[in-house]
Amino acid sequence: MDLLLATLDLREVVASTAVAPLPGRPRGIEGVVFYQGEFLPVLAWKDLPGGSVPEGEAGALAVLRPRLGLPIQRLFGTIDPPSEAWREVDEQDPTAAWVSGICTMEGLQLRALDPARLIALLRRFREDR
Amino acid sequence: MDHSFDDVWAECEDLFQQAHETLATLKEPQSSHVVQAAINALFRTTHTLKGMAGMLGFHSFSRAAHRMEDIFDLMRKGRLRSTDSLVETLESGVLALEAGMADLRRGRPEPEDYLYAIRRELGELEALARPAQGGVQDLTSMLDLPADALKALSEYERTRVTALLMSSLPIHGVAICLDFATFDERLKALSEALGAQGELISTLPWDVPEGLDGLAFLLVVACSTVDLGALPLLGGELISTALLANPDRVPSALKEGDSGQSAEAPAPVEEAPVVQAPPLAQEVEILRLPALRVEALEARLMAVGQLRDKASQLLRRNPGPLGEHPIALMTQMEEGLLEVQKSLLQMRMVKIESLFSRIEPMVKSLSRDTGKPVKLTFNGGELELERSLLGKLSEPFLHLVRNAIDHGLEPPSERLALGKSESGSIRITASQRGRNLRFDIRDDGRGFNLERIESRGIELGLLKRGQSPTPERLHRLALEPGFSTKDRASQLSGRGVGMDVVRAEVEALGGELHLSSEARRGSLIRLSIPLSRAVVSCLKVRCAGQVFGIPLGSVIRVQAGRPLRHGGDQVDVFGLSLPLESLQACLGLPEPDGQRSYVVLGQQGAASRSVSVALGVDEILGRGELLLRSLPELAHAAGIMGGSAQEEGVLWVLDPEAVLGLAMDSLMRRVARV
Repeated sequence: MDLLLATLDLREVVASTAVAPLPGRPRGIEGVVFYQGEFLPVLAWKDLPGGSVPEGEAGALAVLRPRLGLPIQRLFGTIDPPSEAWREVDEQDPTAAWVSGICTMEGLQLRALDPARLIALLRRFREDR
Repeated sequence: MDHSFDDVWAECEDLFQQAHETLATLKEPQSSHVVQAAINALFRTTHTLKGMAGMLGFHSFSRAAHRMEDIFDLMRKGRLRSTDSLVETLESGVLALEAGMADLRRGRPEPEDYLYAIRRELGELEALARPAQGGVQDLTSMLDLPADALKALSEYERTRVTALLMSSLPIHGVAICLDFATFDERLKALSEALGAQGELISTLPWDVPEGLDGLAFLLVVACSTVDLGALPLLGGELISTALLANPDRVPSALKEGDSGQSAEAPAPVEEAPVVQAPPLAQEVEILRLPALRVEALEARLMAVGQLRDKASQLLRRNPGPLGEHPIALMTQMEEGLLEVQKSLLQMRMVKIESLFSRIEPMVKSLSRDTGKPVKLTFNGGELELERSLLGKLSEPFLHLVRNAIDHGLEPPSERLALGKSESGSIRITASQRGRNLRFDIRDDGRGFNLERIESRGIELGLLKRGQSPTPERLHRLALEPGFSTKDRASQLSGRGVGMDVVRAEVEALGGELHLSSEARRGSLIRLSIPLSRAVVSCLKVRCAGQVFGIPLGSVIRVQAGRPLRHGGDQVDVFGLSLPLESLQACLGLPEPDGQRSYVVLGQQGAASRSVSVALGVDEILGRGELLLRSLPELAHAAGIMGGSAQEEGVLWVLDPEAVLGLAMDSLMRRVARV
């Protein structure tokens, strides 16, 4: 899946390190890595509605401002999409719980990840446990 | 909040922490050189606070810090002796400044006088100081008046104030507001009438209250009592009357040898032995770094630790001609790093009694103000928490205790009528529960008024009529934003801070607030705060290929090399038959075919026959001290307290209380399956 991450939501992108799996991990969290002297939770894409298991090993870790690590395979680059490239996510689309919109550019369909929705979803997973 | 001030706030927090610790020293009997060193330290602290506040443009704060600095200056020069009541007043002053700093940090405007609540006591302290060489006793600062009004008194008036207080006459203030057109005649008439009741010392200009027109004055008079009925006051002329200075507060040592009528200044009290400045070695203070700098050092150290781990892994993968020698050196480096980390952690930690020491003077003062005697007890002061948490917890904590005294405890007459002891009880207990520090604040007062909470909840649309909410729901409701059963906040608990704000502050620290109460029996406020890091002595065990740490405080017994056991079996320990459950089953890991080792876990601090379980593990590895880091909220996993970075990866430290619960659940499921 190709995603868009707003640069304002990103702390940084770091090289991927081995994730320490958490026994009895909460849904949505794969485990943790050490980041700036603290544990950083790492997202489990496969647990998200509409999320998929990435092929191959993650090459990098995008660290969101709300202190969550997203394993990613590679970075395409930066874009500034025009407003006409955007469309809303269908209610039926399972990714609507964590995506704020879909941008179509140069034949690519990019889903814009919404950190606030994603964190709220992970918290809901925790409460439902 | 301006983040560019973060370093300054951290510095201030440290200064306040030092001040509390030094004041705590003064509360205990100490030799004179220790007292002198403590006073010097407090003088320096308030001096630094004054300078920092002035630099940042907080002039009112700077003035208040200057006032405190003056008192410490009088003490260090031997003109004021350290007594219990003096230390109590100074502590209240330090607390007032600290609360003021917290408000500034939140961007609140500066008040006119941070030390307003203890203005009278501070004035008395200054007044009672032994005069400087060649000086005369001046008791003017005993008058409970703003600094500007005190400055307006003439030399003669100051002498009269001193003499009249020495002769045991109280000094009163009568504030009046007079019409522009007739104020001169009215002032003359009222001054004459008041002069007939006692000695009219001074007529000072006064602030005209809002909504009134005219000229206001304060008539300062020395007499036993002011008979307002005998004054020719017209409607609306009287603003207020107040006792400005109580002669009973003048120590008898000052009055002795004085005729009681003389206007002359009393002879200075007997020369106190001059306290020599202590030798340098006794003034050495423990190095305290601001929390932010400690954090930066820790992060740097962490990075060094990770580099060491990588180097160690490389050495293991590619052994060179030097054999095991480099690996042994790496192990030594690991031990050294852990020691430095522990030292840094120690610099971040303070004993919880520092928090308790802030509560005690406030409770004493509130008890006096409300006329409610309070028996205050603390437990668990020896536990430690992070200094940064101490600063953030103080205000919510003080508010909760204020609430308990203000709303919880009944007045003595009501308590006696209910068959309770005259003194109310407030018990504050700190304990460590898993990865949390738990604070329980219990009082034996009237409990929360659930009926009123319910009706207020309906009024606010938070509850529906006829819904019959449970007591738990009603207690939770009291923590909702904007929820208050009082139309006007009381003077004590008021201050614009409600329980919802306390909850928000506690939750911002990752903690939880829980209320419960029983009508007429009392209330319990439970506050749980996660520890972000700690050094924990653990038993290391292997299970499902991973290494876990079990805090030693919860380990009752360790057994290895026993016959093969399975989850659900019973084992004999000290003649007791205990249920055995595998750690794998507790944590949701694949179950083993059987285990030969187990660890008997019990509830920490509980009686020997309380809940305990034998926890089956694959291998016992030994004990060790681990630097524990808590898990971020999103990664909370059942039974895991936190993790410790090790060369081979993360070692998970178990939360014994949670694991006990998980083991019991798992055993119950086994029974249900059978």
